[in-house]
Amino acid sequence: MSTNPTVLIAEDEPLMRERLLELLAQAWPEARVVLVAENGNDAWDGFLEHEPDVAFLDIRMPGLSGLEVAERIGSMAHVVFVTAYDQYAVDAFDAGAVDYLLKPVQPDRLERALARLKTRLAQPPADGAAMGELLRHLKTALPGVRQERTKWIKASVGRQVRVIDVDEVLFFQSDTRYTRIVLRDYEALVRTPLKDLLGTLDPDRFWQIHRATVVNVNAIAAAERIDAERMQVLVKGSAEKLAVSRTFVHLFRE
Amino acid sequence: MWQKIANWYREWDKELMGVLEKPELVSVVAPGYRHYVAQRLAQMPPVQRRQLRDFSLSYRGSRLYWTLAALTLAFSLCSIPLHFVRETQSWIGSIFAANIVGFSITGAVISAWFDYHRIVREKWKMVLSVLGFAVFGAVLGIGVAMWTKPKPLADIVARLPHSLALIAGTGLAMLVPLLAISMLRNRQADAINAQLQREAEQAKLARELSESQLRLLRAQIEPHFLFNTLGAVQQLAQHGAPRAAELTANLIDFLRSSMRDMRSEQVSLAAEFGLVESYLKVMQVRLGERLRFSLQLPRALEQVQLPTMILLTLVENAIKHGIEPSLRGGEVVVSAEAQDGAVRIRVQDGGVGMSTLPEPDGGGGTGLDNVRHRLRLAYGEQASLHLLDGDPGLIADVTIPYAQP
Repeated sequence: MSTNPTVLIAEDEPLMRERLLELLAQAWPEARVVLVAENGNDAWDGFLEHEPDVAFLDIRMPGLSGLEVAERIGSMAHVVFVTAYDQYAVDAFDAGAVDYLLKPVQPDRLERALARLKTRLAQPPADGAAMGELLRHLKTALPGVRQERTKWIKASVGRQVRVIDVDEVLFFQSDTRYTRIVLRDYEALVRTPLKDLLGTLDPDRFWQIHRATVVNVNAIAAAERIDAERMQVLVKGSAEKLAVSRTFVHLFRE
Repeated sequence: MWQKIANWYREWDKELMGVLEKPELVSVVAPGYRHYVAQRLAQMPPVQRRQLRDFSLSYRGSRLYWTLAALTLAFSLCSIPLHFVRETQSWIGSIFAANIVGFSITGAVISAWFDYHRIVREKWKMVLSVLGFAVFGAVLGIGVAMWTKPKPLADIVARLPHSLALIAGTGLAMLVPLLAISMLRNRQADAINAQLQREAEQAKLARELSESQLRLLRAQIEPHFLFNTLGAVQQLAQHGAPRAAELTANLIDFLRSSMRDMRSEQVSLAAEFGLVESYLKVMQVRLGERLRFSLQLPRALEQVQLPTMILLTLVENAIKHGIEPSLRGGEVVVSAEAQDGAVRIRVQDGGVGMSTLPEPDGGGGTGLDNVRHRLRLAYGEQASLHLLDGDPGLIADVTIPYAQP
């Protein structure tokens, strides 16, 4: 890498966050921390915004867990888990392509992990299949790191409050601090930002195709190419065309 | 032939002893008379089954034969006076009659001694069947008498009420001591049962207690709690922050009072609120602005006793399942108040709430089952634990009886 490597840190406890930042600044001064997230939702949203080279992820966080964020990152960056889980669970990491740090992070352990990370940075990140396998394993080995899925969303439409069945939603679109929910016959606004709704939706049925857009797979009519890098999605029952960002183009590769 | 009978006897004996030991074996006994007998044994109360089994185990083999021989000799000796009272009978007849009566009484006494539960429960059925058999026996006897020594029918009819009264009276007179035996035995069995139940309850109490001690131990050394707290101490200490000393003090408080909890079964609310306060202070340093808390304990309730660990389990749940998974955090309110003869202790969190409460005990280990068990053991039906939707968050209410000092 010619430029300085960029780093994202996600950790929900302020002192742990501070500690990792300080130790990282000492041990790896050339790295540039582009985002410090306090929960999994911000981490994923920030990842899409900054596209860092390395993500240090706490496993147990509010919103998306570290495992869910890593799953979404896939092979787009190098992931280092930061965890207080005991040795039993940590054994799973040793077999995998993912690095980990035990909390509370100690300087010598961090240096060792960084040395390994630097050699890996020269290569492309862990391939998606191995990562997926590891994450599936971890999700069963580590209890209590999964969010519940939402079935209903309360949203205001004009002066009414409607209870929307998520399956009927065509797509969600981020609108600054609100989220626009588009259905076949009408659309609604909710006060929850899209990044916080994301984790409560089933990722197999609702595809994120852009930092600001999540679409119901059943509502996708077609995806069409605009140029070498960009695509757009045509939605059944809506005239809108939704942009697919570069990060998510792989979803539509044959 | 003889060998066959011996085999049949041995096999049946094994089957019955098996059922006496493990009543569920009755399901493998082949249908028919043997199944009926086995079922009767299996339906006996456990204490009774054990007594019968002990008896059957001690009276078998040579001891059984010697006893039978001794009884036969005794009954035969009894026939000597009988013979002189009723000179009309032959010696063989007297001996035979004495043995029939003797063994019948022995059988009846053994039944009363071991099948007391059913006999006491079905007293009137017993009386009726004794009367029924007496009348049946009388009629049979008269029939036999008519056949051997024909007498005029009028003579028999004239003596019938007298004979019937005599026979039924004898039957009932024998029944009274037998019933008395059964009732006495039944009362003993009840006492044994009560004792067994007390012991089982005590064992259960001990098990619940050690389980909650284990939970406490696990809470202290849980990697997330201990390592993250020590990490926070380390981080604060590195910068010489005065909060490092404060956090350490709270951690020490928490560990010390939880060790005190481990040694006792009950603690005062004041002590338990102290434990919870040191825990919440530790968590507050770690979680920062995401955790706010308040504790409300009226002075009058400070000395109320509560089983250990209950309050801490609820507060831990509020943090672990309410505040920590919540993006914005929330406030934990721990309060106690007197409510017509009871004390209500409430833990309310402003966290993620009911819909995301994780799996019940087992995988998630919310400890709520343990809390319920311990409340039941300490107060029976007088205490309760209820979970309510706090909107936002969850409310856990524990109600215990309030013994006014």
